[in-house]
Amino acid sequence: MIIIEDVYKRYATNHGPGPWVLNGVNLTIPARTNVGLIGRNGAGKSTLLRLIGGIDEPTRGRVERRCRVSWPMARGGGLQNSLTGRQNSKFVCRLYGHEDDMEDRIEQIRDFAAIGRSFEQPINTYSSGMRSRLQFAMSLAFDFDVYISDEVTGAGDASFRAKAAKAFRKLVDRSGIIMVSHGEETLRAFCKSGILLDGGTATWFDDISDALDAYKESIAA
Amino acid sequence: MALAANGPDVSIADPIPSIPRSPLAVTLAVWKALFLREAAGRLFGERAGWFWLLLDPVFHISYLMVMFSVIRMRHVGGIDTPLWIMLGLIGYFMFQHASSQAMRAINANTALFVYRQVLPVDTVLVRAALEAVIMLVVAVLLLAGAWMFGIHVTPAEPLKVLDCLFSLWLIGLGFGAAASAFIEMVPESAKVLSMVMQPLYLLSGVMFPVAAIPPPYRDWLVLNPLVHGLDSLRLAFAPYYHEIPGVDMNYLHAWALGLLVLGLALQVVFAKRLVSE
Repeated sequence: MIIIEDVYKRYATNHGPGPWVLNGVNLTIPARTNVGLIGRNGAGKSTLLRLIGGIDEPTRGRVERRCRVSWPMARGGGLQNSLTGRQNSKFVCRLYGHEDDMEDRIEQIRDFAAIGRSFEQPINTYSSGMRSRLQFAMSLAFDFDVYISDEVTGAGDASFRAKAAKAFRKLVDRSGIIMVSHGEETLRAFCKSGILLDGGTATWFDDISDALDAYKESIAA
Repeated sequence: MALAANGPDVSIADPIPSIPRSPLAVTLAVWKALFLREAAGRLFGERAGWFWLLLDPVFHISYLMVMFSVIRMRHVGGIDTPLWIMLGLIGYFMFQHASSQAMRAINANTALFVYRQVLPVDTVLVRAALEAVIMLVVAVLLLAGAWMFGIHVTPAEPLKVLDCLFSLWLIGLGFGAAASAFIEMVPESAKVLSMVMQPLYLLSGVMFPVAAIPPPYRDWLVLNPLVHGLDSLRLAFAPYYHEIPGVDMNYLHAWALGLLVLGLALQVVFAKRLVSE
């Protein structure tokens, strides 16, 4: 369960504090629920994901994680360019205390990413598709109660997308997921519930279809 | 995303029973992971990276040792010039390498704060620690080299030598921790700090003996804690060395602890703001 209590967030800019991105968000996200986060560009979707993932602190309010929450999986994050795919994978294994079964996990990451010998090459030689494959594979190698995904599901070419979709399906059936996506089909396919972010506040919908309808209404208005 | 029902089966991580780790265990895992990652990046990031990493300070120091002993004088304050220069530079680099690496640690590792286990202060501590290891290897190489050239390099008080090196490193860590927080808060401070740091090389008695400066000005230079560290280091090697009057290890320790407390306090106070973008 993730409890978000009266959360306000604004960022510092070069000219003092910026506008409020989140303006009093109250949510309780049950464990093992699949939630889609919907909102227009700049509505604060990524900000909310970062707060849920614990990599940023709310300006006011409280976020409490009562389960194992993944790092926010976003494009291009969490990889060091000068190190190889294997070295980056080792780093994350060590962070999560998987020193003992590191070899197995790295094999799993390598197999899933299926980027061949590039796994032993520095990340800065990777194409953007290869980076996405590696990141996706890394996120699958660890067991979390809730996965946070910031538009990473559409990564890679057609064959990888198919494979990623199957893996994602398995995850969704087993664990919870909180995802941001602009693809309506993706949201309907993976999410049961929805959260609509609008004007800095969040509304919870038990059914993702209702959330999408409300979103469309808010855009039309 | 296309939904494919067929195709090869895929496997994802098996659910494992969740064993909550203690905060200390998490921190130690983070330090180990960061240290190995940082070391891999520094040592093997480029072709023969480790070679250049060691060669740079070794060459710098050997070059000055030769220059000064050939063109200048044979003794400074009663000890051989090459030893005097070498100890000064090893001590100074202990501070300077630790501080400059620690100073840029947060900025260089922003990609890692995606993992909430990694705090900015972890990157600062780990970078400084790696620098200490590298400088110790450099020091051993230089001492071994000097010994082969017949310079008397056996320290009279080995524990005091370690104390001096550790204190100089600690000043570097404290300064780096404070500076890295400042730089994240006020990016312009990086420019000011590098301007302030430049003349320290000359003002710390690395290349010319502070003892040779006439009294009113010497007293000002002696306010610099690095002067105390470097001269104590020379004294620890050779008890017959004529150190600068007023050299005091306690002064060095006070600075090191003071800067460390300041640096860690800034990291704690601004921890929230250091990771936000």
